[in-house]
Amino acid sequence: MEAKYDFERRYREQILRCSRCGFCQAVCPVYGATLRPGLNARGKMLLLKEVMDGRIDLSGELIETLFQCTTCASCTHNCPSGVEVPEIVKVARKDMVDIGSCHPAFTGMHDVLLHHGNIYAEDEAEDFGREKKARARYVFFAGCVGLYRETEATQAALGVLDKLGVDYTLIEEACCSGVLEDVGFPMNDALVRTNIERILATGAEAVITGCPYCARTLNGKTQYAPLRAKGVVIMHIAQFLKDYDLGVHTDKKVTYHDPCDLGRHCGIYEEPRQTIRRLAPGFVELPHHHADALCCGAGGGVRGAYAKNSIDMARRRLKEVEEAGAEVVLTECNSCVHNLGNAKLRKQKFTICTTTQFIHDLMEEAE
Amino acid sequence: MIDERIKADLIRIVGSQNYTDNLIDMVSYSYDASEHRARPSCAVWVETTAQVSEVMKLANREKVPVTPRGAGTGLSGLSVPAHAGVVMDLTRMNRILELRIEDRLVVVQPGLVYADLEKALAPHGFFFPPDPSSGKVCTMGGTVGTNAGGVKGAKYGTTRDYVLGLEVVLADGRIMRTGGKTIKNVSGYDLTRLFVASEGTLGVVTEIALKINPKPTATTTAMATFDDLEDAGRAVAEVMRSGILPSVLEILGRETILAINQNTDLNLPEVEALLLAETDGYTKEETDFQMGKVVEVFRRNNPGMVKLAASQEEAAQLWQARKSAYAVLARIKSHFVLEDVTVPIGRVPALLKGIQAIAKKHSIQIATFGHAGDGNLHPQILYDGYDPQQVRSMEAASDELFRLSIELEGTLTGEHGIGLSKAAFMTLEHDAVSLEMMRTIKRAFDPNNILNPGKMALDAA
Amino acid sequence: MEFESYNMPDELYYEPNHYWVRQEGDLLTMGMDDFARKLAGQIVFVQLPEEGKAIKLGKKFASVESGKWLGKVYAPVNGEIAGVNEELETNPGLINEDCYGAGWMYKIKPDDPAEVQNLLHGTEAVQKWLVEEIAKFAKGA
Repeated sequence: MEAKYDFERRYREQILRCSRCGFCQAVCPVYGATLRPGLNARGKMLLLKEVMDGRIDLSGELIETLFQCTTCASCTHNCPSGVEVPEIVKVARKDMVDIGSCHPAFTGMHDVLLHHGNIYAEDEAEDFGREKKARARYVFFAGCVGLYRETEATQAALGVLDKLGVDYTLIEEACCSGVLEDVGFPMNDALVRTNIERILATGAEAVITGCPYCARTLNGKTQYAPLRAKGVVIMHIAQFLKDYDLGVHTDKKVTYHDPCDLGRHCGIYEEPRQTIRRLAPGFVELPHHHADALCCGAGGGVRGAYAKNSIDMARRRLKEVEEAGAEVVLTECNSCVHNLGNAKLRKQKFTICTTTQFIHDLMEEAE
Repeated sequence: MIDERIKADLIRIVGSQNYTDNLIDMVSYSYDASEHRARPSCAVWVETTAQVSEVMKLANREKVPVTPRGAGTGLSGLSVPAHAGVVMDLTRMNRILELRIEDRLVVVQPGLVYADLEKALAPHGFFFPPDPSSGKVCTMGGTVGTNAGGVKGAKYGTTRDYVLGLEVVLADGRIMRTGGKTIKNVSGYDLTRLFVASEGTLGVVTEIALKINPKPTATTTAMATFDDLEDAGRAVAEVMRSGILPSVLEILGRETILAINQNTDLNLPEVEALLLAETDGYTKEETDFQMGKVVEVFRRNNPGMVKLAASQEEAAQLWQARKSAYAVLARIKSHFVLEDVTVPIGRVPALLKGIQAIAKKHSIQIATFGHAGDGNLHPQILYDGYDPQQVRSMEAASDELFRLSIELEGTLTGEHGIGLSKAAFMTLEHDAVSLEMMRTIKRAFDPNNILNPGKMALDAA
Repeated sequence: MEFESYNMPDELYYEPNHYWVRQEGDLLTMGMDDFARKLAGQIVFVQLPEEGKAIKLGKKFASVESGKWLGKVYAPVNGEIAGVNEELETNPGLINEDCYGAGWMYKIKPDDPAEVQNLLHGTEAVQKWLVEEIAKFAKGA
């Protein structure tokens, strides 16, 4: 039988490898928050298997599960058969878009990016009180969340770079566009080109970004190959800061939340901890950490499409912060900060922020 | 089967947000971890015993089948809704109701995940000994429904040895209690034991009182390899005569070892069989002494190599082999069937040899691993499910496997249950009178045959 | 009053960013109006400042979010936060269900109770404003 859809052409063998053991139920954040097997990784594979076998059709009825996956890859990490569920889901989403069954939150996404250049349809970005330089050694790329939601975190990151005397500049950013391929659309070539041109125009040798997702996109997508081909290195700010002795310390009990995009997807676990341990001797790990870290629930478009469940997932993660008894939760992803921040209850007295923001605040205190 | 009226009644009982007939839920609920599949008509999420009772009353009145379900990780189709109807998902009833350490008692709801029970007991230095390999996800209702075992079965027994009492909702919605909260209880018929391993066919368990044990703090681990299956088998039997009970005695067969080596960099010696043993206690002296006896037995039976773990890290390494078996084997062919035939311990060598012969005869790959310490082996038949010839070979091999086990005075299933997978073979193991009595009991508890119908060969005349 | 399917109770005062204010004794109660509620979609987060926090007329003191939309809440008067609807922490959807009742957001102690008269009030004024707003948002997006 000729494969009808892309997901089958590319991932048939993997979908068949799913042995239905259900072990993913232990780690899937969507399942953990809803206890609904139809939304679990196994549930998604069972549905796609039935589509492949011709028992059911790909249709709008599958939107609720195919578009409700944070692509955190906790399932893959735990799967005895190594099934890469998030990758399969992304291609299945594309097939869904092609048949006209896209989640309403994303049908507009393509248009929003076309007209506004950012995922929030905002018209004006913060300029953080800094002039854009014509030439600099580094470009700091804030990303949409950093420009339009967690502006304090971006401001703090820039503050830290200033204090360290780093020669950097901001650019007129367009959305890295990585999110489009995650929700079934092709990347916006115009926005990608814009970013590449503007970065190259500064002559920068490297891009530092506060957003692990942008880092993954610029580092990994073929659309950004022209940038990499020019030798431009893309790094996350955690990698940039890891060898600096920032000269600040805290006695607070600090913990670290591994963002999925930095941890499981890029294997970057130790660099952020290197920096944190240097400034916080009272560092404790959360019950699930490193590759086992619980997803905050924001990724894969879930915060936009299923915001209530997204926040429930974040709440589950925050319970672990309570368990660890931490006073401060540090993380290196603005999206995580945003979702966890929304989910935090008033009675939970710990603070949540990016490591760079924490460092910035300590630096300000010291002065 | 579920018309608008029944749907409305179900919604009245559980609330509209706890009723579903959405495609995505129906497909999920069609499967468990076995190769069986059957679509339900709808599903409900229940949160209280009262709701379970109301649903059963309704179902019994309308003659609608109900299939109770926990995590859906069963390996024989126990929670596959063979006759459609309602799937009753109990995973939201997941609390620990009481924890009384001095009474060695914990009372839990059926939807509680095993790992969460472990987590709650650990700070008190206690544990629930039967430890199914799916412990990270499986729920306690399921462990009761199948009398789940685990790697510690040889020394610590299985779930049924630890269930003190139950709250059960019967097919007609009546609620009853069995047993109690005492360690010993011989008052009236032992209905608790009847429900354990009844695979959800006699009642829906809504509360479980369990006995718990203090957790030994020291362990010693060792591994031995054997170039002859008989030697390995004899070693297993002789360990039982050594005067000590190891807490774990697992075996890996040659096929399994080869598969592990091909898919990991564990680089195990490619021998006929590998035995992994663990002894536990409260001091290292004690566990080392016990392991000394085990190692003596190993050495007497022509081992290739005997390795005693000198540290926690080394022990973890030795365990890696056993832990990776299932995962590795799952990747080899598109389909597999995991059996759990169990024989008296002394017959383990014969079973191992017999499995090899069956594989050869039907030209099919069978990798074996399992709980040698209680005679419970897991032959995993690997095959291409899209090749009709291989499917036939798998079926023929399974058939012979069951017959072999019975011949060796064994049973069809040590821990996964009969469900759908082995229903056809019940007559091999049980005599006609016994089967008739089982059906009589089923009829007494569920005259309309609505509770998980079509399982365990209970339906056949 | 009902106007073009929007329910805007007459006795309330309206802050131009679509928040309503009700006088209740010494305090003011504040919430989101039907127009904004419909535009925003399912509310998932409401920022609840600490009691006693000072608020300055015209300045942002909190934010409200749906999936991707973020709305800023501006102080309708000078004063301080006297209370917040704690239900909104775990059930922000109350705003969608009942924006004038159970979905109330903040209680404010105004420095000068008369300041509330500067807000939009009365059927005619509110209706005129609503017409402009409907046109404004129809053009956008």
